[in-house]
Amino acid sequence: MSAYAFYLATIIVYGAVDAMACLALNVEFGFSGISNFGFIIFQSVGAYVAAVLSMPAAASSNGGFQEYILGWNLPWPLPWIGAAIAGGLLALPFVFLVGKRLRGDFAAVGLLVSAVLLNVLVKNYVPLFNGDAGISLVPAPFQSIWNPQGLGYQFAYGAVAVVLTVLVYFLLKRVTESPYGRSLRAMRDNDIVADSLGKSLRRQRTSMLVLGGMVAGLSGAILVGFISLWAPGAWGYAETIVLFAAIILGGAGNHKGAILGAILVPLGFEEITRFLPPLSNPMLVPALEWVAIGLLIILFLWFRPDGILPERRRILSGENASVAEASVAPAGADSDALIKLGNIDELDFRQLLRLKDVVNDHHVILSTQGLSKAFHGVNVVSDVSISIQQGRVTGLIGPNGAGKSTTLAMLAGTLASSGGKIFYEGRDITNVPSHERAQMGLVRTFQLASEFKKLTVLENLVSAIPHQSGDSFWGAVRGKRFWGREDHENIERAKEILGGFGLSHYADTYAGSLSGGQRRLVEIMRALLAEPKVLLLDEPMAGVHPNLAHKIGDQLTRLAQGGMTILMVEHELSIMDAFCDPVIVLAEGRVLAEGTMAELRAKEEVVEAYLVG
Amino acid sequence: MSSFGFGLMTAAVLAIATVGFTMQFAVTNVLNLAYGSVMINSAFVAYYFNKHGMNAWITLIFGVILGSVVSWAINKFVFTPFQRRNLAPITVVIVALGVDLIGTFGLQAIVGGGYVSFSVSPGREFHILGMFLSGMQLIILAICAVVLILVHWLLKYTRLGKAMRATSANANLARNSGVKTQRVISTTWLISGALCGLAGTIFALNTGVFEATSAQLYIVMLLAAMFLGGPGEPYGAMFGALTIGLATEISAAYISPQYKEVVAFVVLLGMLTFRPYGIFGSEKTN
Repeated sequence: MSAYAFYLATIIVYGAVDAMACLALNVEFGFSGISNFGFIIFQSVGAYVAAVLSMPAAASSNGGFQEYILGWNLPWPLPWIGAAIAGGLLALPFVFLVGKRLRGDFAAVGLLVSAVLLNVLVKNYVPLFNGDAGISLVPAPFQSIWNPQGLGYQFAYGAVAVVLTVLVYFLLKRVTESPYGRSLRAMRDNDIVADSLGKSLRRQRTSMLVLGGMVAGLSGAILVGFISLWAPGAWGYAETIVLFAAIILGGAGNHKGAILGAILVPLGFEEITRFLPPLSNPMLVPALEWVAIGLLIILFLWFRPDGILPERRRILSGENASVAEASVAPAGADSDALIKLGNIDELDFRQLLRLKDVVNDHHVILSTQGLSKAFHGVNVVSDVSISIQQGRVTGLIGPNGAGKSTTLAMLAGTLASSGGKIFYEGRDITNVPSHERAQMGLVRTFQLASEFKKLTVLENLVSAIPHQSGDSFWGAVRGKRFWGREDHENIERAKEILGGFGLSHYADTYAGSLSGGQRRLVEIMRALLAEPKVLLLDEPMAGVHPNLAHKIGDQLTRLAQGGMTILMVEHELSIMDAFCDPVIVLAEGRVLAEGTMAELRAKEEVVEAYLVG
Repeated sequence: MSSFGFGLMTAAVLAIATVGFTMQFAVTNVLNLAYGSVMINSAFVAYYFNKHGMNAWITLIFGVILGSVVSWAINKFVFTPFQRRNLAPITVVIVALGVDLIGTFGLQAIVGGGYVSFSVSPGREFHILGMFLSGMQLIILAICAVVLILVHWLLKYTRLGKAMRATSANANLARNSGVKTQRVISTTWLISGALCGLAGTIFALNTGVFEATSAQLYIVMLLAAMFLGGPGEPYGAMFGALTIGLATEISAAYISPQYKEVVAFVVLLGMLTFRPYGIFGSEKTN
């Protein structure tokens, strides 16, 4: 009987440790899109640090049979706190890997390799943590006054582990279910676009790696305090894959899914195999376990990629969930019907966008000097010097391959220029990263689909709003009471704009399931909500119904009259005719002409470039 | 100087492996982390025939065939279907890790955990340029040299090679220009898989003793060599392999053999951090 009780206590501790690890990895991978293939080292450093903080100095203890650093003999809970701090600190060197826009899979490989490297180092450098043999005889908390082998102690330990896991669950939930969490998921779905809307990828990823690392470190501390030993064999890089399997199985982007996955995979696998009869080949069972993990990953990603408990769709519109459920993409809704729904003419964007009144003096707000871009030695944009005047809608036209989108991308900072300078409000911003340019009011849209797929349409819009008090880690931690009212106002504003564009029905639909034209509209709305001073639009009207396109054009004109500056790349010349003055013509990467459309039509070289190009 | 000889052997085997690995990345944009498991499976198939009396050098053929067919099948039946779903590249990499687990530990479940070795005569020792190389090592070097020249010939002077380079540079454009990209991709996987199988078998021959998980760390060397030369660049892979191979063995001689992979790690992390498109490479456009 008591054998079972001891077993139960062990299961509880292991389950809590695994759940904590999966919750942490899920915040990184499922919510923020950071594929931390080196996750296990964060848990491991926590275990080591908790061990050496709680153990007596190496020379004085155990007859010196093991070597390790520190040995500070600290009382509980200091070793656990130290473990969490160590897990967080370990994240910092990896900022270089995840901070910049390195391909997600390249960064993942870098983390994987780091995990392998650290394992090799710890295994071979004995003075650090006793090398391959590992550290043993780690004291259990309070072992001098309470026998750790006793049933009561073991259950108490399990209870503490569970309580801490629950606390972690609520903390992480608080962070992810906030405006900040929305920004994290936006980054996960499309990091380049999130960057262009003013989200600092480096800061967000660093915060999540540190947070995940701290939780992982704590989980390692809890484990080592219970099993009293820790060695490199326990944290091979493949252990991370087990945790990934757990999250994929349980449901990435869902905290409960992470806990479920932890119970099914690391805990379940370990425990089920205990009950198998002993086999002649002792390698067989562990080997088949790994095969099963591999199969689980592949089969789940194929048949149920969202896991057993898929990520929950956030209903922001305030309608109850069942109504919102029914509103998913009414079949056959054509764009004509949508225009009738929309009341875009009646909206007062200036008020909705909280625009301050600006006196239009048409000064040069954005300009370039000799701007160039070369790919593989081929000049796509060469020596472009243009000036954009405040309060005007400037057009940028040119045949395919003229370098229009490339120029726009360099203005917004999405692409680095190969030469030349960019000035904004008199300041040289050539080397300013794109998210900072967005924060300064220089906001772009993209030619290709750029919606945050697994954010609803409303979430897409609200995520772009700058200066949200809940859109920072600490803002999120302070809770809904701190940011809830403001968020509600933001949502109401976004809903009104959505209504203006005739998309109210889609408020709670995933943006990824909209039609091409609808996505363009979402993108324009999102860019407007980012409160731009200069709006850079890359073919905003492509795929949008002509009637609606002209209504949007009218609104843009009104915004310009109110002080917003707009630069628009567009193929549709009728839009240029109606709304843009002046218009700049690019051909083969160079400025060919500039003037009103009427003037340009009179120029032979412009007509020729267009017809020939 | 003996470490230089070791380094040359490591580099030669690594070059074959990295060229195959980087070709797969070039045409399908997948970091095939299952590569090491295909290598070791190929080695074990060759070993199986060797154990039953066949000359080790002839068994290479079976290793090559297995590597080729298995790699082709993994791409065709696993990677391609997943890629058609338009998932983030990371999903396919996670799938590749799953395939790696199945390949490595499936093999371990079959052959057990023990170390094995080919029965092959090392041949007499030659003293060349201050290095001591066995006859076996010379044969391996010769095979590697011939294969690398063949790869060079394939890429530079054949229609297939041109089609591969076109597909790797821009698959859509290649398809629109009349290149049968699907067939090119399949052929590339057959060829790169053959290189993988060959690399696995000579890796096992060169190492002496090996077991099912022996190639698990090899992926790090592969990645380091590939990123050094620029991902997707076969010539860069040869350069990277030579550098990493020599650097690891020389550091093993002068620092400590336990840390010999550390050089590869450091190079890889440095490249990822500062020049993810290789020493000579630049960011790709699409």
